Amino acid sequence: MKMDEKKEMKNDKDRLICRCEEITLGEIEQAIDEGCTTLNEVKRRTRAGMGLCQSRTCSKQIARIIAQKTGKPLSEIMPVTSRPPARPVKIDVFRTGESNEESN
Amino acid sequence: MKGQYDVIIIGSGIIGLSSGYYLSRSGKKVLVLDRSEFGSGSSGACDDMILLQSKKAGVTLELAMESLELYRGLGDELGCDLGFKQMGGMILIENQRDLAVMQEFVEQQQACGLNVDIVGRSEMRRRQPNINDKFIASTYSADDGQVDPLMVMKGFIAAGKELGMEVSYQEGVIGIDRDGRGDWKVTTALGVTVRAENLVIAAGAWSGKIGELLDIDIPVQPKKGQLLITEKIPPVGETNLWTASYVVTKLKPELAEQEEPDPVKKELGLGFSFTRTVDGNYLIGSTREHVGFDKRATFEAVEALSNQVVDIIPLMKHVHIIRHIAGFRPEVKDGRIILGEWPGMEGLFVATGHEGDGIAMAPITGKLVDDYVCRRELPKKVAELNPQRVLV
Repeated sequence: MKMDEKKEMKNDKDRLICRCEEITLGEIEQAIDEGCTTLNEVKRRTRAGMGLCQSRTCSKQIARIIAQKTGKPLSEIMPVTSRPPARPVKIDVFRTGESNEESN
Repeated sequence: MKGQYDVIIIGSGIIGLSSGYYLSRSGKKVLVLDRSEFGSGSSGACDDMILLQSKKAGVTLELAMESLELYRGLGDELGCDLGFKQMGGMILIENQRDLAVMQEFVEQQQACGLNVDIVGRSEMRRRQPNINDKFIASTYSADDGQVDPLMVMKGFIAAGKELGMEVSYQEGVIGIDRDGRGDWKVTTALGVTVRAENLVIAAGAWSGKIGELLDIDIPVQPKKGQLLITEKIPPVGETNLWTASYVVTKLKPELAEQEEPDPVKKELGLGFSFTRTVDGNYLIGSTREHVGFDKRATFEAVEALSNQVVDIIPLMKHVHIIRHIAGFRPEVKDGRIILGEWPGMEGLFVATGHEGDGIAMAPITGKLVDDYVCRRELPKKVAELNPQRVLV
C-alpha cells in the first residue's frame, strides 16, 4: 500500500472500527464531537466495544482516535471498565450439580 | 457552565436527564451536573424493560402506564431511535399457591386498567416453547415494553441541548448553600460555583450523600443487582419473561426469605428476569443485595444466575456469557419513589428512589419534576410520593 492510499483510508468514515457491533470511524468521531472524551463514554454512546470481544480488539484504536481528536495524550486515556468473563463462556460451565457437561 | 441558572439538577442518570429535558422544554435554563461520566451509574447498568405487570395496582402502576404512553411518542419528539418496542411480557407460575397470588394481583391490575391476563398451559407453551415443563400457567400482557436506556439518555441530552440545556460531567457537587438572595449556591469538585433558584436532586442511589450536604436525610439505599449479558442469539420465545417468585421477591421479600433454604441464594435475593435487547443479546437477572456500594461481579451470582436460567429455559446452557455487570438500584423502604419539594426547603426538589423502575418511570418522573418546579397543578395521587412521608 502506498503512503497516500493509507492517508485516504484514515479519512474513510465508513471504515469499521468495532467489528463486533459494526461501528464506523464516522460514528466514533461524531460521538467525540458531541463531547465524549473517554473510552467508556464512546462505548456507551455508540456501542463500540459492547460486542462479543468486549472491546479487546478495538479499544486501542478508539483510544488513538480520541487522542487525535481531543489532543489528550494517549497515556491519559483510561482503559474501558473490564468485567468478567475474560472471554465468552458457555452458561453450562458456570452451573453446579450433576447435569454439568464437560464442554465449552 | 457558569453563573446563574433557573434549575440545577444533580445527577445525569435517566431521571436527571428526563427532568432536564422537560424543564428545558418549559423554557427553563437548566444545568445538569454529574460527578462521573455519561452512563456510568445505574442507568447504564440495568436492564431495558418497561415492565408494567410487576407493579402493584395504585399510584406506581398508574404512573408507569402514563410513562409508557409518553415513551410511545418520545422517539419522534426527541428525534432519535430509542429502541422502543413492545414484545409483551409473561410471568411464569410454578405452583397453585403462586397461581392464587398472581390471580389476585392480576385482577387488581385489570381494575387499574392494565391489559393483562392469566393464560393456561397451552397458550403459554405456544408463546414460550422452550420453557421447563414444570410451569402450570403464566400471566401475559401485550403491553410490556422495552427501550434502550443509553439511547434514551442520549436523546434527552441532544434534544435538551437544542433547547439550551447544559450537561457537565466530572463535576461532583461538594457544597450546597443559600446565597444572600435566597438562591442555591452549588460548589463542584473543580471549584466552580453556580447558582439557581431551584435545585433538583436526582442522584439515584447516591442521593443520600447529596442530602448530607444539606443536612437532610434522604432515605435511599443501594440495592445491588447483578446481570449476565449473553452473545446475540435468535429469540427463544415470543416475550420477555419473569417468574412469579420474582414478583414475590420484589413485592413481598419477607415471604421469599421464609422460603429460601439456601443461605447463599437468600443473601443474593435471587429472582428471575429474562429480556432480549433490540440487538439480540439476552439480559439475565438478577440479584437484590444489600452490600453497600460494592460493585463487584461475584462468582456466587454468576453460578446462581446460570443455574436458574438453565432450570427455567434448559437450552440456554449452550449460550455464551460475554459480560457480567452490577449496578445499584436506589431503594426506598416503602417501595415508592420520593418525588416533590422537600418540606421546609423552598426550591429544593427530590426525584429519586425508583429502585428497579427508573427506566420505565423516567418520562413521567421528568414531566412531574417539571410540573413541580413550574408550580403547576398536580394530580392528587402524586401526594403519596411526597417526601413528607419519609421525614423522621
